[in-house]
Order: sequence, then structure tokens, then C-alpha cells
Amino acid sequence: MCNLQKHGGPDDAGVYSCAESNLVLGHRRLALIDLSPSGHQPMFYHQRYVISFNGEIYNFHSLKNELIKAGRQFHTQCDTEVILAAFAQWNTQSFAKLSGMFAFALYDIVEKDLYLVRDPSGIKPLYYSVTNSSIEFASEIRAFTAAENKKENTNWPVFQLAYGHIPEPVTTLQDVKPLHKGCFHKFNLSTGADSLQSFTHYSYSDTLHDPLVSLDAIKASLQKAVGRHLLSDAPIGVFLSGGIDSGIITTLASGYQHEHLKTLSLYFNEPQFSEKKYQDSIIENLQCRYYQHLLTESEFQQFFPSILQAMDMPSCDGINTWFISKYAKKNGLKAVLSGVGGDELFGGYPSFGRISFAGGLQKLPAALLQVARYSGIKKMKRLPFLSLKGTKGLYLLLRGQFSTRQIAQRLGATEKEIWTVLEGQPMLPGLTTLAPKNEASWMELNIYMQNQLLRDADVMGMAHGVEIRVPFLDDDVMKTALSIDPRIKYEGALSKQILINAFKNILPETVWNRKKMGFSFPFHEWLSNSAFVKDTMGNGNAASKLNYRKFLQGKLHWSHLMSLIILQTRGVN
Amino acid sequence: MKTLFLTLKTFSATGGIEKVCRILGKALYEDSIKNEGIVQICSMYDKQQDAFNNRYFPAESFRGFGINKLRFIQEMVQAGSKSDVVILSHINLLLVGWFIKKISPCTKIILLAHGIEIWYPLNFRKRKMFRCCDKILAVSSFTQNKIMEVHGLAKEKCAVLNNCLDPFLPLPSLHKKNEALLKKYGFTTTDTILMTLTRLSSKERYKGYNKVIEAIGNLQMRYPHVKYLIAGSYDTREKVFLDTLINKLGIQNVIVMPGYIPDEDLEDHFAMSDIYVMPSRKEGFGIVFIEAMYYGLPVIAGNIDGSADALLNGKLGQLVNPKNVQEITIAVANVLDNKTSFAPNRELLMKHFSYEAYKEKLQGLIGKYYPQRSNSSYH
Repeated sequence: MCNLQKHGGPDDAGVYSCAESNLVLGHRRLALIDLSPSGHQPMFYHQRYVISFNGEIYNFHSLKNELIKAGRQFHTQCDTEVILAAFAQWNTQSFAKLSGMFAFALYDIVEKDLYLVRDPSGIKPLYYSVTNSSIEFASEIRAFTAAENKKENTNWPVFQLAYGHIPEPVTTLQDVKPLHKGCFHKFNLSTGADSLQSFTHYSYSDTLHDPLVSLDAIKASLQKAVGRHLLSDAPIGVFLSGGIDSGIITTLASGYQHEHLKTLSLYFNEPQFSEKKYQDSIIENLQCRYYQHLLTESEFQQFFPSILQAMDMPSCDGINTWFISKYAKKNGLKAVLSGVGGDELFGGYPSFGRISFAGGLQKLPAALLQVARYSGIKKMKRLPFLSLKGTKGLYLLLRGQFSTRQIAQRLGATEKEIWTVLEGQPMLPGLTTLAPKNEASWMELNIYMQNQLLRDADVMGMAHGVEIRVPFLDDDVMKTALSIDPRIKYEGALSKQILINAFKNILPETVWNRKKMGFSFPFHEWLSNSAFVKDTMGNGNAASKLNYRKFLQGKLHWSHLMSLIILQTRGVN
Repeated sequence: MKTLFLTLKTFSATGGIEKVCRILGKALYEDSIKNEGIVQICSMYDKQQDAFNNRYFPAESFRGFGINKLRFIQEMVQAGSKSDVVILSHINLLLVGWFIKKISPCTKIILLAHGIEIWYPLNFRKRKMFRCCDKILAVSSFTQNKIMEVHGLAKEKCAVLNNCLDPFLPLPSLHKKNEALLKKYGFTTTDTILMTLTRLSSKERYKGYNKVIEAIGNLQMRYPHVKYLIAGSYDTREKVFLDTLINKLGIQNVIVMPGYIPDEDLEDHFAMSDIYVMPSRKEGFGIVFIEAMYYGLPVIAGNIDGSADALLNGKLGQLVNPKNVQEITIAVANVLDNKTSFAPNRELLMKHFSYEAYKEKLQGLIGKYYPQRSNSSYH
């Protein structure tokens, strides 16, 4: 299992096995803090606790000081050892004290308790499978194929075509699920008893009502977060797309004058997609080393099949992250900061403007919503999704890909079967108490970002042994953003106005007063020209071929085609 | 799997029932993650903002109706009839459960029974509605027996779900007594401090602190360093009553009544104390006993109510006749003579009253009411 994840941990490898408890913990190391061999994992503490840890603890220095005062001793400079000492000191209450991105397995040799733990924003992945006789866990789904004892979840293509990704807790394998964020699952290896507990969670609270106080809180929390996220003993950089979020992070990071700081950008020959002028306007005011890479179509065509292979759980995106991580690696970087989370927290997506109207439509009778699919209007095709109650229906209308009818055609199933699958999972809370734009934010954070952006960032970064860090998801930033009254947070003529107001004095106007482009590629054209895609789709069924023709005619979005390509390459006929 | 948990108050009050509601809400939220279900926790009296920044479960899983009773009843009947399981945190919510059962007979109605609210005969209307419940979860064997005895309920309809320790209780620290706190109350490090934590109400004088005061009067000569801290808010009438008693016994320098203690300061107060004594007569369970034991204090409780469950029928501490000052006096003297031998058995305490143990029991009791998950496949 470890070897299948070697790409994400090229620096070291280790295994701990305990015959008495039938336990094996494996680890692949990407060394970022304390690069010496003392950071080897699985790591022990007092011969009682042992850990296999993936991620970063940004507050490990302050925790370490607190633990030293409490009498704990340390032998390394690693954050890993701090997790162990914190557990020895505070037991499971230690998990809530950790600020960062983490997924780990910690074993208490005396009590024979195994803990699987995942960070509150679900940045780092942790998948696991529990049967009557075994517990298996890993950072990537592909690791489970080593055991060859897992069956495929044959429903995954339905989710992929509806959502464009596989929403938690669904995976492509039966009986393998992700550990819910902010939770730990404890297993006693003697008795078999288990307990899943939530150690922390984020909620919208609407407790900050003053615009100026809110602005100050955003500034202070993000500034500190960026500082914390620069913590590294290895070279670190920032992804700079040319947008507001990455612009803010780059500017704040340069303020720390970090010795390793480099900025990294992609640009294209195709002028309509190139954000070079925005990148230039940010860089020219800063003291940092910048690397801009021209991504050409030929390079894309060369690597596209490899990118699909690097993918772990299916996703309709992630290609951009693969390329930028490739360049990060090429420039000697081991960690990079990204602007993921800014749009979700401060209203950067179209869904924020549309959700109120969609919520109104959801009150229409289901029969009327079902009729919409016969209208022939492309935008109306997903309207029937609104008959799924609550957030799920809203998400699939605003963010979904194919209609149930199209999914049924592609998979050779009945529409009723597709509806049943989509109704069954995932179960999402009714968000009736949230203001509509906070509901959009919840949806973007918990569905889109969780299942697509964070997964893409982790898997595509790790494909090159590069760690992607996300300061917008820092504990303080999250709590600040979620506590601001939505009437203030989303107010203003521009998208993410409050974030702009907080940082417009340090960002060039050309960056914040512009149309959003996203971190995008000239994708439609390149995929249209791809012989690989042509061959792949040519082998598909009638529905696949029809959709491919639509794509070539400009009637299907490239990300929708991506889902179909993934189905083809993974043998779904 | 859909669960609806209805409470009167969850966050807007600090009593034992509200504590149970918060902990049960957390347990149900975690079960919903584990079993891929949905839980909604709704309070009749709390406002929505009362749930903001709580540690137990996301505020998005909570609805506070802010005393809008009619709306609460209307919406909860509607939501409950679409749920697999509805848990009522208090007998005063029976009406909602009864309506739900009428509309959706398949929905399982579970009622939590805490203590005195259910120990006495019910009026005709409540008695009728009481029958809509599929299960009554009593916080102690004592409450369960009372329900069977007073309401004639069959044993299979009842079960005991003892309360548990709050998972967010700070870990017991090994640090010594907080000297600033000792000084604040006029205590010294050589004093042996008895503690009771309760609201001091002239209308509910059943916690037995007046008997403890009398017992201390008996012990003063032999144990001059004994002090007694009665923590909790008090009404004027009760304060006058206790002051009169204290003056009569001439132990004004021994008793301290500081009033309300915020939750975050409780650990320091437990750590400062040496014995927890509360010979109560009407305790449904007595969460405070297990909290005191969690912080290592020997405990003395009454033997005629739910306290017996909290002390595992005497395995974890001493049970006394709460009406008998002599018995209380002897029990306190026992501990004063040999503190270490009366220290509670931590392993036993955690085995029965940890949050983890609570969740396991809860799963055993209500898990069977949830429909089996079937993952439909399109093939």
C-alpha cells in the first residue's frame, strides 16, 4: 500500500508492525520540517505511542512550548513528535488543539487503541475500511487495490456524471469511506470496540456585525495564517494565478520576506486565457523570485494521459494543479501556498448570486420541475434536480453536470435507478437556518471544495511530491469568515467585495477590479484537438459518442467531457 | 435514517437536563456521520444564536424556536412524521410526540425520563399521550423503577441510559490546590474542604446541604480544619434559612456560600476540594457526582434516589440515608480519617460513565429502530 503512494512521499519510508495486535503502520515521507532522519516515521513517543502522520501542524511551536512547560521532553524538531506528546498529555482532547492540515493514525501500545484522525477542514485525505476482522486505511484510494479484497462501488459513475466528482462519503470502492473531517475514529484492537467522535467542527455564527471590525478581523487572521503557512525547512512558494485570492496570499507572503519564497504562475499563448498581465502587476511591486511558465498545447497533449493516471478518486478537473505542481517541483519547491477557500468563504462563485432564485424554484411542485427537461433548453435540463430536497437539489442544479436522463442514457440504466442512487447518498443537513448566501458558502465549502478542489490539490500535488497549503482554511480565517453577518460579508458591487476592501491597499487595482477568470486553461480547444480523447471517446457507447460530438460543436463544457473521459478510461461501458 | 431530537432548552440554561441534551445531541450527530444519516436538534425555548459557536454539534444541525411554541409544535410534528426516530428530551414534549405518532405510526418515539418530573402520577391527558412512546430511556434504575411502579409501564418499554461525563470536561490536572482560590474563600492548604454544588432553593430543599451543615457541627470539635463550600446560586429566603442554622451551630467560619460558579471555573473548585457530599433525596441521577469523581474526589450521596446509580450502588462512593445526620456525619468522618481509601476507582468510573460508554449504550438501545441502509445499484 505504501509503495502505491510513493509519489507523495519520496524522501523516506518506514513500517511499524506489532505482531501481538496484528497491526502494521506504514509511512512515506515528504520532508518539510526537520529534514533530518530524526523525522523518520512511524515515530515513537516513550515506547508507548506510535504515529504515521500526513500533513503539517502550523502551531506546533507554541504547543511544544506549552508541553515543555508541562514537563514533556522532545528529541526532534518535528511537528510529528508534538502530536504524540500532545496526545500523551491531553489524550483525545489534544486533537482540537492542533491547527493545520492533518490525517494520521496513532496507536497507543498500552491500551491497544488505534486512532484515525482528520483535520477540521478535511484538507488531508484519509480513507478507511472496517470489516469484522480488519481495519485498513490509506491516504489514497488506489492503495486499497494492493490488498485486492475490495469490490468496486458500481454506483460511482452516477455520482461522477451528476456532480463532476464523487461526493463524500461515497468512494469508488465498496466499504471504503473517507473519515469525516474534524473527527477521530477509535478502534480497540483487543475488544474490537470502536467509536467515532467529532472533536471540532466549523459553523456559521453571524456574530460579527460591524463592517470595520469584520475587515480588521479578516486582515489580521489572514495575515497571521499566511505567516504560519510559510513554516518550512524546505523551499516554499506561492501559486499565483492573477486572481484576488492568490494575489493577496502572494503579497502577504512577500511581507514575511521568507528566504525560500518564490512565486509560480502559468500562462498561455492564447491571449483570452492568459492572466500574465495580472500576474505581472502583482509581482512588480514585490520582492520575491518569480517563475512564470508558458504552458503550450503540445505539452498538454503529451502529459494528458499521465494526468488521468495520476488521478486517484475521479474528478472533472485537477489538470491545472498537476501542471503547476510539476513546475513547482522543477523549480525545487516542496511546498506551495494556494488561494483555495477564498471564493467559498467570501462569495466568489456565481452560485452565491443564484441560490435565492433557485431556492424559490425549489418550492415548485416536483411534477412541474420534471416537465422542465422536455423544454429543450440546455439550462433547464438540470431543473428536475430541485425535486431532491434541500442543499442536494440546489447543488446539482447550480453545480451539477448531466441530467438524470443523460446519465441514464450513458450508463444504460433507467432514470428511476439514477434517482434512487442520487437520493440515497450523500445525506446532507437541511440548512433552513442559514441565510441563502451562507447556504451557498456551505455548499461550496462542503461539496465542491471538499470533494473536488482539495482532492485535486492533494493528489495532483503529491503526484510530483509537492505539498499544497491553503491559508484561507486556517482555523482563525475560517472562524472569522463564518462569524461575519452575511449582510456585511456579501455586500458590494464586486464579487468578494469585503476581501477586496480588506486588502485593496496592497493589491493593484487591475487585479481586484477585473472580471473573474479562475485558474483556467484553453481547455476546450486542446481537448478538441486531442487524438487521445478522440480515440477514447470513439470507443464509447452511443451516448458517449453523441456527447463527444456535442463537445466538438461547442455544446458541452470541457469539464463535462472530462467526466465522460474518466468513465471511458476506467472501463465503464 | 432521520432522527429528530426535541428539547425544551439545550444551550440557554445550565442545568443537568440541558447538559444531557447537549451531550445526547453530540452523540446523535456523530451517529449520523457514522451511519450516513441526518439528525436535527430542535429547542422550543432556545434562540438560534444560542447554538452559535457551541462545541457539541454544528449550529446548522440545530434549530431554536425562541419560545414560539405554536410554530415549534407545528413544524416539529411535520418534521417528526418524516423521521425514523423522534427523541423527546422531556415529558412536557409528549404532545408533539403524540401528534407525530398519530400521523406516522412507523416513527419511533423515545422519551427521556430524568427524575421528579416523571416520578408521580400524570394527569389523564398526559397518561394517554404517554402511551405513544415506543421506549422510555430513564437516566437511572431508580427512575426506571418509579416509571414502572407509578405508571404501570411494562419493563420491555423501559431501559436505563445513565448520564455520562461531558467529553469536553478538562482533563483532571495533577496540579495542587489553587492558592488564589483558597485565599479568596479564606481557606488554607491545611483545611479539608467539603463541597456541594447545587442551586440553593427554598422551594426545592432536597439536596441535603442543611444536613451536611448539621453533620459538620457534629464534627467541628474532632476535625477543626474541616471547611464546607456550598457552591451555586441561592435565593434570599434560603440564604437566611442557612445563615440561621449556621449561626445556631456557631460555625460561621466554616461554611462558605460563594453563589454561582461559571462552568469554566468548576475544575479549580473540584481540585481545591477534598470530599464531595450531597445527600440528596430527589436526584434523578446526579451528574455532579460523576464529575466530582472524575476530578478524584471521594463522594457521599443519598441512598433513596437515582444517586445510587451514579455511585454504582456504593462501589464508587458512600451512600447514606439522606435524612439521617448521624449517618452523614459518620460517612464524612470515614473519609476524613482515611482519604485515600475512599478515592473513587477511576477505571470503574470511566467504564460506566465515559462518553464513549454512553454512546455504546445508546447505540444498543436505539440502533435497532433505524432502518437498515440499502445501497441501491443501477445495475
